[in-house]
Amino acid sequence: MNEANATITANVRMLRRERGPRRHSLEQIEGAGLSAKIALEPEEVVMGRGSDTQIRLASKRASRHHAFFRVRGTDCVLLDNDSHNGVYLNEVKIHSAVLRDGDVIQVADSVFVYHED
Amino acid sequence: MAAYVKFWGTRGSIPTPASWTRVYGGNTSCVEVRFDDTIFICDAGSGIRELGKDLLARNPRPKCVHLMITHTHWDHIQGFPFFAPVYTKAMQINVYGQRAEENSPYRVLSGQMSSDYFPVSFKDLGASVVPDHLQEGRKRIDGVEVRSFPLNHPGGCFGYCLEKDGRKIVYATDNELEIQAEDLFPDLENSGPLRRVPEELIQVAQDADLLVTDAQYDEKGYLTKKTWGHSCCFSVTDLAIQARVKNLALFHHDPESTDLEIDEKVETCRLRAARHGADLRISAAREGVELKF
Repeated sequence: MNEANATITANVRMLRRERGPRRHSLEQIEGAGLSAKIALEPEEVVMGRGSDTQIRLASKRASRHHAFFRVRGTDCVLLDNDSHNGVYLNEVKIHSAVLRDGDVIQVADSVFVYHED
Repeated sequence: MAAYVKFWGTRGSIPTPASWTRVYGGNTSCVEVRFDDTIFICDAGSGIRELGKDLLARNPRPKCVHLMITHTHWDHIQGFPFFAPVYTKAMQINVYGQRAEENSPYRVLSGQMSSDYFPVSFKDLGASVVPDHLQEGRKRIDGVEVRSFPLNHPGGCFGYCLEKDGRKIVYATDNELEIQAEDLFPDLENSGPLRRVPEELIQVAQDADLLVTDAQYDEKGYLTKKTWGHSCCFSVTDLAIQARVKNLALFHHDPESTDLEIDEKVETCRLRAARHGADLRISAAREGVELKF
């Protein structure tokens, strides 16, 4: 490997490091309290009706601690916390799922789009 | 008591890691079905690798799993040598065949670890890998009624029906629902009547909470793949409708199918079910998704 190639390789490595971990966020598209981008940080975010949640849902159909978002490695996992009305991913009732960019999540009366940057 | 079903590998034929398979996944067949602490693993395709890591990280760590192999084509056994629990002492893995004298899945799983194919010998595995079998297609395992049934696939194949406390999960992959002469095919307008499907399959899937089944092709795809041992999605939708299944998971995705094409398949199958007035929820099996019943 010549010096120029070695420099290119080092630059690529540096850019990859600088890019850092994938960022996970939600965009609310239906339901009360429409907000812009909701960052799914830190490692665990709780969604529900309870006042101690990071994403608060103003709906009687939402359980207190309805669902969790957990970052595992580069993925974000959505878990239904045995809620009364369930969690829907792209119209399918799920117990848990590894999220993918563009997924549509419905919890109670609110609908969100999941984004990963 | 609830039943949990988690998809670890949903692709057919060959692992397909690609940007266009990122949503539904590229690993080959592996589905975990859990009733309380009893864990069944349906097939050992490449998806079983991630399942193995997950099992070892669980608290408490399971000590025994039941491996149900539908048949021994590569995409259903290739993950076994990479299933971390097989290297773990104090882990028991029961591998089920159809008959005691045949012992086929155990024999092939161990055979694929001969030095011609893999560096670690089967006899050096840390876990206790135990051959077992169903008795005339039935066995009760930890209170779960397990039933196997034959499927239509070159070389032979078996599906599994798992039932406990009113929860019924049916796993039937690598099965070709042949088109009958009087049925409309290809139904490119999605306007035809329900197709005839084998009565035995309707009975076994009757009222299932979930049917996970081979829907590798759409109508056009199946046109050139008849006799390859896989079904088109309209035929399996018609099976699920006639069996009054509650949830249908289209499975064994074609390695050429993109995420968008699988989305389209789901959409057209939902339209078909709606047109027939069926109360059937249809989705495509997707890696990393867990369902609860």
